[in-house]
Amino acid sequence: MLILSRKPGESIVIDGCIHLKIVRVEGEVVKVGISAPADVPVHRLEVYEEIQRSNQQALTSRSGPLPKLPLRRKAAAAGLKTQAGAGHLPPT
Amino acid sequence: MPLACDVRLPMGLLGFERIKDYLLVSNPVEEPFRRLRVKDNPSLAFVVVEPFLAVPDYRPDIPQPDVEFLGLTQTEDALVYSVVTLHAGQSATINLKGPIVINRNTGIGKQVIIANAANYSVQHPLPEAEAAA
Repeated sequence: MLILSRKPGESIVIDGCIHLKIVRVEGEVVKVGISAPADVPVHRLEVYEEIQRSNQQALTSRSGPLPKLPLRRKAAAAGLKTQAGAGHLPPT
Repeated sequence: MPLACDVRLPMGLLGFERIKDYLLVSNPVEEPFRRLRVKDNPSLAFVVVEPFLAVPDYRPDIPQPDVEFLGLTQTEDALVYSVVTLHAGQSATINLKGPIVINRNTGIGKQVIIANAANYSVQHPLPEAEAAA
């Protein structure tokens, strides 16, 4: 891993288009300003890892019946205007 | 009679980047849950559900690059599913930070990290069966 020392106000540029600026250092917290093109997703690593873990936990090989949970399509119909059945997807 | 549609996730799911081809299976007896079944290994699946059923005011903010990647031009084109984690007993949670968004016209989807992920949980509890009685 490349390690660079920067002072507040100084920046790093990646690939000519992604700028990371050290905005402030407050005790243990470093505020980093990021400017990147719209097609470059920027996320906190923890969120990524959290979703990864959740997916790994969710993968199931159980084909038996699902627990009967009280979720009813009708009950939430108001929030569902855009949600038609999966059968509306075309075969690909 | 279960109904199945092809869904392609070109970037896979986070942690499962290599698995790109799925079948979205809806079985009337399992409604409103559906299974996103791994196409070349049908014994593996993710259970999914429309998050709006559990959280009617859920407002996922889908980042613009993802909107473009999926080729979404209007809200109606998007199918939004949350991945369900089944825990011991009858309890289950859904991931509201990283919904799977599918363009219903193309069958192309992506697990999107929503821009307002901080407002939502990765393990949002679904109502338990007892509550229904």
